[in-house]
Amino acid sequence: MKRILKLNVNGEDLEILVEGHKTLLEVLREDLGLTGTKRGCDLGTCGACTVLIDGKPWLSCLTLATAVQGKKITTIEGLAEDGKLHPLQASFIEKGAIQCGFCTPGMILTAKAFLEENPRPSEEEVKKAISGNLCRCTGYVKIIEAILSVSGSK
Amino acid sequence: MRLPKFEYVEPKSLREAVKILSAHPSETFLLAGGTDLLVNMKYGVVKPTTLINLKSIPKLNYILEEKETLRIGALTSLHDLYTSPLIQKKFLILSQAAREVGAYAHQVMGTIGGNLCQGNRCRFYNQSPFWRSVRPPCLKAGGEICHVIKKPKECHSTYCGDIAPALIALGAKVKVIGPQGERIFPLKRLYTHNGKKPLSLRKGEILKEVLLPQSSGKSIYLKWRWRGSIEFPIISLALYVEKEDNRIGLSRVVFSGVGEGPLEISEIEKRLLGNTLEDSIIDSVSEQVTKLISPMRTSIYSPAYKRKMAGILLREGLDKLK
Repeated sequence: MKRILKLNVNGEDLEILVEGHKTLLEVLREDLGLTGTKRGCDLGTCGACTVLIDGKPWLSCLTLATAVQGKKITTIEGLAEDGKLHPLQASFIEKGAIQCGFCTPGMILTAKAFLEENPRPSEEEVKKAISGNLCRCTGYVKIIEAILSVSGSK
Repeated sequence: MRLPKFEYVEPKSLREAVKILSAHPSETFLLAGGTDLLVNMKYGVVKPTTLINLKSIPKLNYILEEKETLRIGALTSLHDLYTSPLIQKKFLILSQAAREVGAYAHQVMGTIGGNLCQGNRCRFYNQSPFWRSVRPPCLKAGGEICHVIKKPKECHSTYCGDIAPALIALGAKVKVIGPQGERIFPLKRLYTHNGKKPLSLRKGEILKEVLLPQSSGKSIYLKWRWRGSIEFPIISLALYVEKEDNRIGLSRVVFSGVGEGPLEISEIEKRLLGNTLEDSIIDSVSEQVTKLISPMRTSIYSPAYKRKMAGILLREGLDKLK
């Protein structure tokens, strides 16, 4: 049974007609065409589906779309402002922290939320913060460097 | 994996939630963070017809210090627990345990109540329909036989939560609200040690608050898992000791991952009473504890390995609390 959901995504208020039992991940990808957020394990163990809800990292594969109405949802598509990349996006490119790119949206959003909480983290703290985001390509070194280089400049 | 269809309700109060839950208690499930429930719904091992979103109820998310007691609302997130300066200062083991759950996003989404009430786990149960189709459904999933022991009647699924052992070590109580009103009881009694029905909550009851006594002792939470994040414990230990003149006046030793509920080892607590934490005592109890637990093979880690690790964790914990 479809219902009207009022979602605020990347600063825009949207009204969509969707099945009530869909996860936020499914709604973002299938109903809103925002395919930056990835379906990895679908069980909350890989972090590829990470989005920000009111600025905090959230696993969209384990979130009901209907339960986050009225909250501020940020996907990777919402990070750049007026075509200008967020410092984290620029840093990931510069440091070579992106190979296949599948983990990247979740990784960047997690890092963004983390740096807002802890602007000058140690390397160990960065590792712990991104430990829920798995990467099969890079071996994490460049990702950690990219995050630390953004934190250094804040 | 798609979620099956269900009715979704957002009550405005706990009383309303209790009413809805009591109407169809076996098919109505409570939703908080969803990091445990939604996975099991995708696996098809639980099939709620209705989900009640507890996060829609205001004022269930709080940490309040009263003279003798710390009161924590059941919908307080694990992230709010470990970032609370009060909890870091006075209830360190709880802060440690909350940081060990899953990873960053799980700690933001997950709640203290939800973590305490998490389902028991087993390698035959927490699997996709495809994986489980090779065997008849296990006892916990609605079948006849527990595949761990290959016998009927008893489910041996394991309790793997991180918060419960830490809170039991601190002497926590819980407040629960149901159709008959509220009741308060020690957290330890929330757990039945029955794999199929792990919680002692009666029909229509909802966990509302955790109550912690102010405590003076030292405590530590040690979680042993293969990787440094995400996973449930292979085995974990919550330790609390109060000393008088360097001798132990009170201790609590609580394991997770080795039984059908959080496991308090009173024989070790008795052995420690009145003693100092000298090496001979630590050697003795670390040896003794390996014989006092009976883990089942509900994960890929063998019971023998868990027994050995119980002794190692106890030694490490006691060394750190010297």
